[in-house]
Amino acid sequence: MSELSFQGVTKSFGAVRALKGVTFPVEEGEAHALVGENGAGKSTLMRVLAGIVRPDGGQLVWGGRKLDLHSPRAALDQGIGMVYQEMLLFPNLTVSGNIFAGREITAGGGRLREPDMRERTVRLLEELHLAVSPDAEVATLSTAHQQLVQIARALAFECRILILDEPTTCLTEAETAHLFAILDKLRQRGVTLIYVSHKLDEVFRLCQRITVLRDGEHVGTFEAGRTTPREIVRSMVGRDIDPAARVPRTVPADAPDVLVVERLTRRPWFADVSLRVRAGEIVGLFGLVGSGRSELLETLFGLYRPDAGTLSFSGGPARFASPVEAIRAGLALVPEERHRQGLFFNLTVRHNLLLPAENASDAWRIDDRRERADAQRLVEHWRIKTAGVEAPPDSLSGGNQQKVVMAKWLQASPRLLLLDEPTKGVDVGAKWEIHDLIRRQADQGMGCLVVSSELPEILSLADRIVVLREGRVQGELAGAGADEESVMRLATAVRH
Amino acid sequence: MHARLKTIWKTRELSTLFVLALEVAFFTWYLWPEGGRSHPFFNLSNLVLILKYSALYGIAAIGAAMVIISGGVDLSPGAVMALAGVVTGHVFVVQGHPLSAGVTAGILTGLTCGIVSALLVVAVKLPPFIATLGIMGIARGIAFIITEGRFFDLSSRLPAGWKPFGLPADWLAPIVLVALAAVFQYLMQRFQWGRAIFAIGGNETAALFSGIRVGRVKASVYIVAAVLASLSGVILVAIQGQGRADLATGYELDIIASSVVGGASLTGGRGSVVGAVLGTLIFGVLRNALPQIPGATFYDRLIVGVVVVVIVVVDQFIARKGA
Repeated sequence: MSELSFQGVTKSFGAVRALKGVTFPVEEGEAHALVGENGAGKSTLMRVLAGIVRPDGGQLVWGGRKLDLHSPRAALDQGIGMVYQEMLLFPNLTVSGNIFAGREITAGGGRLREPDMRERTVRLLEELHLAVSPDAEVATLSTAHQQLVQIARALAFECRILILDEPTTCLTEAETAHLFAILDKLRQRGVTLIYVSHKLDEVFRLCQRITVLRDGEHVGTFEAGRTTPREIVRSMVGRDIDPAARVPRTVPADAPDVLVVERLTRRPWFADVSLRVRAGEIVGLFGLVGSGRSELLETLFGLYRPDAGTLSFSGGPARFASPVEAIRAGLALVPEERHRQGLFFNLTVRHNLLLPAENASDAWRIDDRRERADAQRLVEHWRIKTAGVEAPPDSLSGGNQQKVVMAKWLQASPRLLLLDEPTKGVDVGAKWEIHDLIRRQADQGMGCLVVSSELPEILSLADRIVVLREGRVQGELAGAGADEESVMRLATAVRH
Repeated sequence: MHARLKTIWKTRELSTLFVLALEVAFFTWYLWPEGGRSHPFFNLSNLVLILKYSALYGIAAIGAAMVIISGGVDLSPGAVMALAGVVTGHVFVVQGHPLSAGVTAGILTGLTCGIVSALLVVAVKLPPFIATLGIMGIARGIAFIITEGRFFDLSSRLPAGWKPFGLPADWLAPIVLVALAAVFQYLMQRFQWGRAIFAIGGNETAALFSGIRVGRVKASVYIVAAVLASLSGVILVAIQGQGRADLATGYELDIIASSVVGGASLTGGRGSVVGAVLGTLIFGVLRNALPQIPGATFYDRLIVGVVVVVIVVVDQFIARKGA
């Protein structure tokens, strides 16, 4: 039986030691989960296996032979494929062009055999139940479809080891189930799967063994049948927490409305949306992808002009023509796409933290010394794990990046905080901390409107849940009495 | 039928061709002569003239378009044209070697420039703008050093009525252009190499992770672009009969503009070789016809600028509507 083993793999990025001698075996033909908090070294380890990152020390041995992984191509040639967490697609190429990029089917001299590639693509898309044309440009596809195209790319080639890094982030439950069925089939054909995910329920559904990494070290490898999610979480974070536990809180009965939305409409995203958020209240806005929830937040924040409807904010009518006006009035938005909308990767943590303050200040000059002190104070207050205030944000883990984004907006003490998927791609420990931060803000009287597609998050966090489907409010539930079934029934319009 | 029309319009080369036809029709109508005199714009010798000069830009624009599609930019083609032309002139006129030796020397000069650009971009990892800006200065500078302000008179050594490959000299550039455009369009659309260029322009990281040899492909693009520029420089001095260091000054921006008007996106991943060539023709017609309009003499640069902006804005508008 040949197996893949990681033997004392080390890797440092500058002063950060991402992998501190990781050693564990993966058996051939198993689905092996790799879990751990963000920054635990999972992605780095997988990038070593995919030939993208070259380790400082240690080696990878497969079937008794040392693997030579000096480039992504070398890894691919040895049958190691990877589905990346980030969207690594070519927006300008067709679906078929994307699937075969770098490994086109060619006749002599590198001439492309388009009909062959197209035919293989059609078959792959059918297998994945993906109803898109092989000739569609990838830029025109929805995010979920793009993710499925990424998976199709990995499946298009006979690989012996397939690494999947958070492949289900944008997939619906049905799509995920379908993907898992395909992965099971692959595994039965002898393909070794390495599955990196934060979603423990998926890990337990798919994998036979689970390896936990923490701070670049191997904590343990568990048989899925002989452990529990609770035990895995404990070894991931090094302490005992239950992230789904609901923290009871009460909103004073006389708390004033911060935001009242009446029949707000912006076609084609949402119509006739009415909702209210009281001071100190956390309102969860739940809906599936495409229900209009992000667009609703962005419209409230002045990014888009509503077609109809009224807003009132802190007791007076309001109309925000731009985010600047919304911010001045006391709103803050923590956007969904940290990378695209929330952080400046060319600036330091300090500048990211203090940018809104710099903008609001009347001073022309930036006082470096004071800023450094302010930033340091924020880093400590928010418990942001960073090498220092002058570190670039991409040296931080996802959870800590999210804390930077939140800290940045909360300095201005807004009266209403809009959060769009606040813990997307964030690990369990950081998720718990972010939830705690949101609750603490609400306890101080801030109104919070949280969009999330993770039902457990909404259920554990929200005092009240507003369910959106196809741009319309389907109903409201009190947070304390709601359960998964009642919310999903509203969100999907399934009658039982 | 409607869908068919939409596909045709979306085939960017065809919409560029349509703009070109519209432009020719406009000037033919606008410059229509009174009383049966011959047409000052729409006559064979004028159209050949436009073709001849546009073709010089066009050959270089093939390379420029490929660089832009790969996500880079090349500022050096004008200077490389001049240096290659000057080297050809020097070898042929001053050193007295045969023309074939001069042409070979000129092309090898272009190859050298391309290799240096490629090394700067791929190995030293300079931004293409900076790398090719440097090559632009260096190539132009060497051209001035070689000529010391003189010009090399090739025409005196070329036989009267010189016919390269048995063709009238005026036809040389257009024929070379058509052949090269066809070859490179085919390579870009139907070959792995071309697909890799599009992929790199679309998402360089993804290209790397997909096992595309990104460095090699990018290097090849800069080298091909410089060789094509040198080829058009050599043809330029051969048909003009003069090798001078200030040849093709400012061509680089016109060449980039032609690629963009022909559908290339400066963010990479989009564009076509044929589109870029048609773009050079759009500008060639403008530069030829505008001076013939009474009173327009001082307006031609301005109009050219406006046309670039308008075409690209319309293009973006259509792209957004289509999406």
